[in-house]
Amino acid sequence: MKPVPVLVFAIILGFTALAGSSNKKETSAVTPVTHATDADSMRSLGEQRFRANCGRCHAAPQKFPPRAMATVLRHMRVRATITDEDMRLVLFYMTQ
Amino acid sequence: MKLYHQYKKTRSRRSRAFLSRILSLFLLQFFAPAHTHSQTAANFEKPAPILSGTAGFLTSVTAGQTVLDTQFNPVLLVPLGEHWLVESRGEFEGEFQRQPDGSFGGPVNKHLDYLQADYIANPYLTVTVGRFLTPFGIFNERLYPMWIRALQPDPLILPVATAASDGTMLRGGFPLNTRANFNYAAYVSVTSIGVDGVESERHVGGRAGFFLSGPRLEVGVSWQKVLQDDRKNAVGFHLGWQPRPVPLSVHAEVVRSDQGSGYWVEGAYRLSQAPFWEKAMRRTEVVARAQQYFSGNISSDAAQSLGLPAANTWEADFGVNYFLKDGLKAVASYGRQLSSAGNFNQWTFGIAYRFLIPLGREAAP
Repeated sequence: MKPVPVLVFAIILGFTALAGSSNKKETSAVTPVTHATDADSMRSLGEQRFRANCGRCHAAPQKFPPRAMATVLRHMRVRATITDEDMRLVLFYMTQ
Repeated sequence: MKLYHQYKKTRSRRSRAFLSRILSLFLLQFFAPAHTHSQTAANFEKPAPILSGTAGFLTSVTAGQTVLDTQFNPVLLVPLGEHWLVESRGEFEGEFQRQPDGSFGGPVNKHLDYLQADYIANPYLTVTVGRFLTPFGIFNERLYPMWIRALQPDPLILPVATAASDGTMLRGGFPLNTRANFNYAAYVSVTSIGVDGVESERHVGGRAGFFLSGPRLEVGVSWQKVLQDDRKNAVGFHLGWQPRPVPLSVHAEVVRSDQGSGYWVEGAYRLSQAPFWEKAMRRTEVVARAQQYFSGNISSDAAQSLGLPAANTWEADFGVNYFLKDGLKAVASYGRQLSSAGNFNQWTFGIAYRFLIPLGREAAP
């Protein structure tokens, strides 16, 4: 058997496994998004993610109506491959 | 000998079983149900259709030739349910030059940049079908719009491996840990269309990148193989960096292909830390870009038809952007191009505006 395909699969599996395990960690780190009542900390996290993700390409836009913002974030999730967690936090920050 | 063959057969069977197990695990990860997404999406407002985009007017003087460039790029975004998004961008561009009778006139180009349906299958995977921007490097997909780009002239290597794609694409981004995200895109373009305004080629490719949130550093690699004509490969690298201590944004791309190779590196610095004229300085950005293009194995005519320089070229650009208000900026830049085909200056002045209109009464504030 050729070692290259196995190596490629192993790397991909490593990434996905890492993603899976880290996602669990991330989920616990991001748990406040769905459960906590501390809106301030969510806003703070959201602002951090906003500056880290959106600032990669463009200057900070103004806040738009919540339903429009939700569409923009869905678009940016696809276009800029923003993660699910980051999208939710940024959306919270931009709409609250 | 027989024993050896038996050993080889058993080993091959085991390898296949091992591979299929790995593949199953991989697929299970990616085709996991969208439980997390659905659960949390319900916490937010329902997305509504919007019409967004860019309008702009530029005056450029290239080698003494003045061009009035008017652009309108509407973007329509229609979310459907919790998992779908239909999106499209058109490009209308009028390039007017002085005619022999003294008046300005020229063609108005119409172009469909993309019309795609995105299905967000789960937090790891989005499936796109239709016409989409080819994810090669970062400029074509993310930095192209007038209101985003720091310098209005295109990078010299932009035409390499960025022909439109008509087909399907798998893409996504997910955290590897709390400090690093991984993103990927894999695509296949299945048609070769050469109709005016609707052009594409058959190709297959992919892009993978990492974003490190600590240093705000993004690096990635792109690959594409053309499935028609000479079936050549193209490889690219990209970088984005926004260091925390200073309001600086650095982007760079490198590409190597049969059509030509080259690189560009650009830094945009917001003068918000300047200790004088603070109000005006906060809105001002200075930009510099250096780039080089090396001719490939195609004729100079073919290169020019693709929008590439006809010869090895070096170019430096400097610019200033002033953000008048959100989405509206005045731009000015100067560039000097040096090549065996001729040296010239390029001046650009103009204004770029990004608009967003919620469609429907419910979406309005």
